[in-house]
Amino acid sequence: MGEIFRRIRYLIHRRRLDGELASDMEFHREMAARAGHNNFGNTLRIQEQAREAWGWTWLDRLIQDLRYAVRILARSPGFTLVAVLVLAIGIGVNVAAFTVFDLVALEPLPVRDPGSLVRLERRSPNAYTDGAPNSSLLFYEKNAKTLSAVMGVMGVPRMQVDGDIQQASASFITPNYFTELGTPAAIGRLFDPKRDGDPTAPPSVVISYGFWQRRFGGDPSVVGRIIHIDKKPATIVGVLPYAFASLGGQRPDIWMPIIQQPYFVEGSHTLTDPGDSAIRMWGRLAPGVSAKTAGQELRALTDELRHQHPKDIWDKEYIQISPGGHMQVMQPEMYQVGAMVAVFTLLILAVACANLGGLMLARAVTREHEIGIRVAIGANRGRIFRQLCTESLLLAMLGALAGLALGCAVMQIALTKLDMPKWVSAAPDWRVLLFTVAVMFAAAVFFGLMPAVQVARQRRHKTIARQFLVGAQVAASCVLLIVAGLFVRATQHALYTDPGFGYQQMLSIDPRLGRHGYAPAAAQAYFDQMQDRLRATPGVLSVSLVKLPPLGHEVDRETTEIAGHKVLIYPNWVEPGFFQTMNIPILLGRTFYPGEKNAVIVSQSFARQQWPNQNPIGQRLGDDDSTKSIVVGVAGNAHINALSDDDATEQYWSAQPDDMPAMVVIARTAGAPDSLPAISKSISESLDPKIFPEIRPLKILYHDNISGIEKATMAVSLIGMIAVLVSGIGIIGLVAFTVSQRLKEIAIRIALGAKRAQVLSAVLLQFSWPVLLGLIAGTGIAAAGSKVLRIALYGINNLDPLSYASAIFVLFAIIVIAALLPARHALRLDLAKTLHND
Amino acid sequence: MARKDLQGALDLLVLKTLDQKGEMHGYGIVLHVQRASGELLAVEEGSLYPALHRMEQRGWIKSAWALTESGRKAKYYRLTAFGRKELAAAEKSFDQLVKGVRAVMRYA
Repeated sequence: MGEIFRRIRYLIHRRRLDGELASDMEFHREMAARAGHNNFGNTLRIQEQAREAWGWTWLDRLIQDLRYAVRILARSPGFTLVAVLVLAIGIGVNVAAFTVFDLVALEPLPVRDPGSLVRLERRSPNAYTDGAPNSSLLFYEKNAKTLSAVMGVMGVPRMQVDGDIQQASASFITPNYFTELGTPAAIGRLFDPKRDGDPTAPPSVVISYGFWQRRFGGDPSVVGRIIHIDKKPATIVGVLPYAFASLGGQRPDIWMPIIQQPYFVEGSHTLTDPGDSAIRMWGRLAPGVSAKTAGQELRALTDELRHQHPKDIWDKEYIQISPGGHMQVMQPEMYQVGAMVAVFTLLILAVACANLGGLMLARAVTREHEIGIRVAIGANRGRIFRQLCTESLLLAMLGALAGLALGCAVMQIALTKLDMPKWVSAAPDWRVLLFTVAVMFAAAVFFGLMPAVQVARQRRHKTIARQFLVGAQVAASCVLLIVAGLFVRATQHALYTDPGFGYQQMLSIDPRLGRHGYAPAAAQAYFDQMQDRLRATPGVLSVSLVKLPPLGHEVDRETTEIAGHKVLIYPNWVEPGFFQTMNIPILLGRTFYPGEKNAVIVSQSFARQQWPNQNPIGQRLGDDDSTKSIVVGVAGNAHINALSDDDATEQYWSAQPDDMPAMVVIARTAGAPDSLPAISKSISESLDPKIFPEIRPLKILYHDNISGIEKATMAVSLIGMIAVLVSGIGIIGLVAFTVSQRLKEIAIRIALGAKRAQVLSAVLLQFSWPVLLGLIAGTGIAAAGSKVLRIALYGINNLDPLSYASAIFVLFAIIVIAALLPARHALRLDLAKTLHND
Repeated sequence: MARKDLQGALDLLVLKTLDQKGEMHGYGIVLHVQRASGELLAVEEGSLYPALHRMEQRGWIKSAWALTESGRKAKYYRLTAFGRKELAAAEKSFDQLVKGVRAVMRYA
């Protein structure tokens, strides 16, 4: 500490100290001269050495270098502007991407002690679910000593509030939810375990700030008012704050105590059924307890639970504990997506840096004169190198500042466009700033180091370095363009190609009979009547039942291995009429008989992989002989629950009576199914007024699903275009520079009779190899890396030749234009003037 | 290592001079060392001032401006309590160095 203070003292008083040192030595010299000695030597040098004891020489040099760098950059404002702009784009894209990651996965929620919040999920080596049954939740809450609290959230389908046209999103929560998060009420009160943990307590509901504003106009007298939720009266007890932070980013309009779920959803056995994993479980680690310790205790408790409910707890089940105090609980797949985005944005940075590196190398030639002078007056290589690095760092700093501003501006716009929780702000936090600084240094090294080494060594032939940089940016742009091309193709394919099933005139009607306590027979009766009445409705062409409806909330999938590679299977349970209703062709064999057992229909892609060159009909499927089913039919490929993944395969099983409470009605109409939702609502109302089915037109769901890939395509294309633009600018700069360097040579050649075009091609030839190699390398990298994209490409092959060819063509065209633009200058050369010049 | 030892020797000479003579300016130190060593040792001015600064920075010596007999302003250096302690330690280690070197020389 004392050392630091002493140094700072020196720094502050340096001017005075400098003066003192000089006069101290002046005195010595005078005395020595008087005594006849005259060997004091170089005063300045000694002064320098003495100063070194103060420990600030490096600062002196740095300031000197910085000053020089500022002068140099200010002297060529055009170069500086382009450099900062290119860097700002490269860094800004990365800053924006990192900010998103930071907001989602790193920034702690603004709640009480976010660090100890954990997400608890059921896992076993071959099964997983994000929910848990109520019985398990209560058991863990009662017995786990490593958890100070267990919270539960059960999301439910939208519910009807009074006579509203639009239904409200709803969740049931354990009453400790808000108290554990330390959420204050905007008005009224929120739930607390004492008052709302009792099934006999008066039904109460907490509403979100947005819902309060939207539906009640922010009326403060709303507290105490009675509203009807799915026709059940309940009292609004309070309103959530504006900037409410919830677990896992769930933000429903209305919140109700979980204990009152049977009241709101009449006939439901969800809370008492140990097989119904409907509740998402969260916990708070007890003080000083690590996630690992808690995991061990929960594993032991799960084993105990298995004794109580042997049917419902899986073999080798354990509870996976992940940090819960962020907006999003990160799953491994999300990290994959994140890594992919990171590769993309880093490629942009690479293009920007390679570009700038090329420009700096080119500039270095013009600076040879200046650097030669500096070397001549005694600067050594190290000093020149340091000077050049300082310049790069200054540029990087300016670029990073501009990039940070750009990134924040982009985020600001994105946040208003995206529906983000209100506590989220686009202002960079310390992690984003740290990241920016790190990227800045990385960029400075990447674009500045190679030119600096080359220049400091005073090497004359920098062609190879320049060629390398050209190749690098061409390769990186090529990768980005190819991926963009793939996405564009996938979007087109998704938009204009038949997905293998009818979706234009389809409606799914999900009454969730199981959640209302329907037995199989009652469910069968309900569906029989509903289907009959729907069929009797004019305009309805076909009606059927399916367990996992197309683009539904639930997806079931299994992985199997066929001939050494993994295959994803999406099983489904359907009524015989399903294929006709969905317009999925039966290519071979037949559909089911009603209630048929031990029969399976597989999709064409599955049949092809499992039994290549064999007749799939009559083959057996299943693990052991007793459950083996016979393939009775082959259906056309229709990835009704995996639209974007063309590698998916399907297996259909005939729905059994036990499946009935879980079934969903699908109906196809002749025209647009505009009036059908209202009609089915009234049918449902007359069949059972307790039930509020969720009615969804498939067309809208389909377009929602596609809009995801459309957005991704937009983003990727934008990034690709930016990269190409940046490298275009870079190539223009490089060629312009090369031409201007060789202007005299060109003029002489032309004067001696060479054709202009020939000369030009000779000049440009030095770039043809790097461009070619860059294109090849980029294509190779894209081909190898795009395998992971297959799942999102809607059936476009990741080696789709059209995407590759068009990307390479576009890139090549831009490069040629970028090279010819400045080269035209050489064609219009005024020979006499050029040759007479100096 | 050699360089460090030589630097240590210079430090020792300067500290000892200041200990014996009290306040002194840089030129005086040079003269004193020359005289006291019987012209055997000559302190290089080039290393003296960096050394003085280093020692001042470490808090072994203090400096103040004062007038010489001839009426010229000069910087006078003075030993601090801390410097005195350092001198004792340096003397001891120098003694040991000399003893050690001598023992090795005699061994042959």
